[in-house]
Amino acid sequence: MRELSLNVMDVAQNSVRAQADLVRISVEESDREDFLRITIADDGCGMTEEQVQQVIDPFFTTRTTRKVGLGVPLFKLSAEQTGGSFDIRSQKGVGTTTTATYVKSHVDMTPLGDINSTVEILIRCNPGIDFVFTRSTDLGSFTLDTRELREVLEGVSLDTPDVLEWIRAYLTEQTQSIIGGADIP
Amino acid sequence: MTVKEFAERLNLKVMIEGEMDREITGCYIGDLLSWVMGRAPEDSAWLTVMGNINSIAVATLADVSCIVLVENAALDENAAQKADIHGVTILQTPENSYQLAVKLHGLLEE
Repeated sequence: MRELSLNVMDVAQNSVRAQADLVRISVEESDREDFLRITIADDGCGMTEEQVQQVIDPFFTTRTTRKVGLGVPLFKLSAEQTGGSFDIRSQKGVGTTTTATYVKSHVDMTPLGDINSTVEILIRCNPGIDFVFTRSTDLGSFTLDTRELREVLEGVSLDTPDVLEWIRAYLTEQTQSIIGGADIP
Repeated sequence: MTVKEFAERLNLKVMIEGEMDREITGCYIGDLLSWVMGRAPEDSAWLTVMGNINSIAVATLADVSCIVLVENAALDENAAQKADIHGVTILQTPENSYQLAVKLHGLLEE
């Protein structure tokens, strides 16, 4: 993928399909320690060890329309080609955690892309699911927790335009506060 | 022109012998697999430096005639196995994509 945020979208949609109630997405990065780590953790139906091996195999897919599935394999490749690592931990009935760690300064590093839009789209398209999005850099961190939003909203759905507008503004503002310079999509 | 003729005429090393009688009708060059998978035309020779297992999956999906690893790019062991199973021909050359594409163009114009 040309942007890592597209990989996040892809994996988060797997969480949705796994009937998750809560999906945690975090993007941690540090220029000092030269890494970027993306974690997507859900409380969905989980997988057996055999199923985990299958999703990292590009020649396995649950789709019947074609014989290869490249979402997870390409995510894994993107991390490994920077000298980083990739890991899926899953337990049947408990959930799945996918972690991709990148060496940020590597020349083959894929840009993160517009992660805020990814989060906003996920919330908009899945108003029944809760998302916790955390982003951290050397300058600080912030969290958006839709469970907290729901408490304040008292029954107003997360996919109403005003709420989405607020989410967008909040993410933009918080991102600016922890990213120095022009590195904002 | 078949994959077999292509390999012979341009002196390409056959790393995995798949369907050598397939026709080649064009050429596609690219290394970003997610990009290539939606764009490489079927029946083309795909020139790349990516010799991993995902490349084999992309070749299968895009239904290209063969993969050519240019600049002597390496083929991973598990990729070689999958290519063998799925009948994907893998060729290799010391030339870069541009040099090989120009020669392939010449052959296709004959």
